[in-house]
Amino acid sequence: MKRIVALLLVIVMVLGLFGCGAKEKEIDPASASWDEILAAAKGTTVTFYGWGGDENRNNWLNTTVAQHVKENYDITLEVVGMNIDDILAKLSGEKQAGSNKGSIDMIWINGENFYSAKDNGLLWGPFTDKLPNMVTYIDLTDPETLNDFCMPIDGYEAPYAKAQMVMYADTAVTPDLPASAAQLLEFAKANPGKVTYPALPDFTGSAFVRNIIYELCGWEQFQTMEADYDTVKAAIEPALEYLRQLNPYLWNEGKTFPESSTTVDSMFADGELVMAMSYGPFSVATGIDQGLYTETTQTFVFDNGTIGNTNYMAIGFNSPNKAGAMVVINAIISGEIQLTQYAELRELPVVATEKLSAEELAAFDAVDLGKGVLSQAQLLSHRLPEMPASLVPIIEQIWLAEVVGK
Amino acid sequence: MKNKTHIFLLLLPFLGISAMMCVSVWNVAVQSLGYIPAFGLTNLTLEYYKEVFRNPDFLSSVLVSLRIALWSAVFACILGVALSMALIKTQKARGATLYAIRLPILVPHAVVAVFVVQILGQTGLIARLGYALGLLEDYTEFPQLLYTPSYFGTVLAYLWKEIPFVAYFVLAFMSGISDTLGEAAENLGASPIRGFFEVTLPLSLNVIAKAFLIIFIFAFGGYELPLLLGSTLPKALSVQTYLSYMNPDLLQRPLAMAMNGTMLLLSAAISFAYALAIIGLNRKIGGAK
Repeated sequence: MKRIVALLLVIVMVLGLFGCGAKEKEIDPASASWDEILAAAKGTTVTFYGWGGDENRNNWLNTTVAQHVKENYDITLEVVGMNIDDILAKLSGEKQAGSNKGSIDMIWINGENFYSAKDNGLLWGPFTDKLPNMVTYIDLTDPETLNDFCMPIDGYEAPYAKAQMVMYADTAVTPDLPASAAQLLEFAKANPGKVTYPALPDFTGSAFVRNIIYELCGWEQFQTMEADYDTVKAAIEPALEYLRQLNPYLWNEGKTFPESSTTVDSMFADGELVMAMSYGPFSVATGIDQGLYTETTQTFVFDNGTIGNTNYMAIGFNSPNKAGAMVVINAIISGEIQLTQYAELRELPVVATEKLSAEELAAFDAVDLGKGVLSQAQLLSHRLPEMPASLVPIIEQIWLAEVVGK
Repeated sequence: MKNKTHIFLLLLPFLGISAMMCVSVWNVAVQSLGYIPAFGLTNLTLEYYKEVFRNPDFLSSVLVSLRIALWSAVFACILGVALSMALIKTQKARGATLYAIRLPILVPHAVVAVFVVQILGQTGLIARLGYALGLLEDYTEFPQLLYTPSYFGTVLAYLWKEIPFVAYFVLAFMSGISDTLGEAAENLGASPIRGFFEVTLPLSLNVIAKAFLIIFIFAFGGYELPLLLGSTLPKALSVQTYLSYMNPDLLQRPLAMAMNGTMLLLSAAISFAYALAIIGLNRKIGGAK
């Protein structure tokens, strides 16, 4: 009798093992079909790591996007706010330790960080050719779909949102807004000590300096420039000279720059500065809504245009849930979610207008962007491409050596 | 035997922390010599240290950090000891005053930075007060005390935290000396000032030196205050090191680790010099007895 019970127990246990085995059978996300990916992603949790400094975006991710993927794909989205430097440090630490099961699924990334992460094998891919919405909604021939800061994407990241450098000032304080670098210099002379930009390598400060370089040296030559200190320095010399001329009229006489764009924003809101800048083209509307900026605050760009870029979503090389990450990324590039991003966060969408249905198009047009901003059309007609990612750290280095305190 | 196990158990947390520290130091050492197989770096070389020392920005960073540490430690010790003596002499070295002294020690450095900005910044409390009273026509007339290459703001913020720390650290010891030997000296006819300088202070030097070393090493490696209140150039050593560590170009990692290694070596050298100084000091006090 005992033996039979023991035998039964063993059979049950073995069956149980098989049962578990079948349930946990992992698909190979690199070769699986979209249906297999959807099935594997069902009931799982996906982590999304990225900069967490924007409360509105965190809110949107935690409510709108999280609900959408829960209802449609039964996926739990877990948003983790972390600076990209820390994310890459964490990934490279895991890579050094040889860890194959990490904790990061999706990463919000672009530019030099993408370049370095892809180069060092910290990302998983290519995966964008698997996402049905890439074909449905995204312009696959758009340079910003193919290249990120002039570096080939090769399917390692999918577009998330478009950004564009803008500047803003309170027209009640300074009625005339500069439309070029030359006018900006006059503007600074008229408001001594009340203009500045974030110290590089701050993301916004770095973009602002690149914009000045475009103003004085044109943008075309940089698209193919070799990433060499002396070459870059020779090419940007006129811009360096301009920035040195600007220094005496800047906050603290250009001896010191605020350490982040957040500080510049709050100094502007405080009235300590008469001008600030952002890589979020509609951030003024949000600021006015929240009462941070006055109603007369107005966004402006240079006549020659300002730098725009796309930011992207990638997947960690040791992501424990690659299938889930692909499903969520596919959902985020859909017209539906991009519309909520445009309406709730006022971010430029990545979907191609010509691929939208008439209804979708009307919904996008109906979005009220708020006060003090430029229209999507005005922005896109003043949009310049980013520089190759490898030039960015070099420019930051040159700026420290040739501009600060000079 | 049983006693020994007991001691071992008590030492366990300390050993755990020491083990973790050893692993970190080992990592810094190995990576600064250029050994990070994950990024394809496998040749051991001193090249990164050489490169770091050839960089004038790095050398000015070292000097800035040493200067911040020195000023913070010197002034915190002088003013902290003065505060402590004042409390002893006025019989306030207990109760509520003691708690009040402890308060700044509990406040995080980043919060202290916010205080300093809000009080001493160009749009801070004092500048606004001056503007309201008509002393300043525009807030830009208020002198820029923060963000300067002299790191005045950073040192000030350290003092805000460390003066109470020194006072608290030396209070019990000094009050013991002052109540016994100091008063004995005064009974024998020494003035209170002479009693302080010739009896209480020399006998407390050992403890004060300890406080000095703690503040010096901390301010030397501290990150938040020089980042938030410092200048764009020169950067403090810790800020410079962190920036290199965070450089998206991962091949810069060995350089960051070489800076880190330099910071470790300097801290170790300073601690060693401190130990020598203390031995010398104790001999001198011992000889005078």
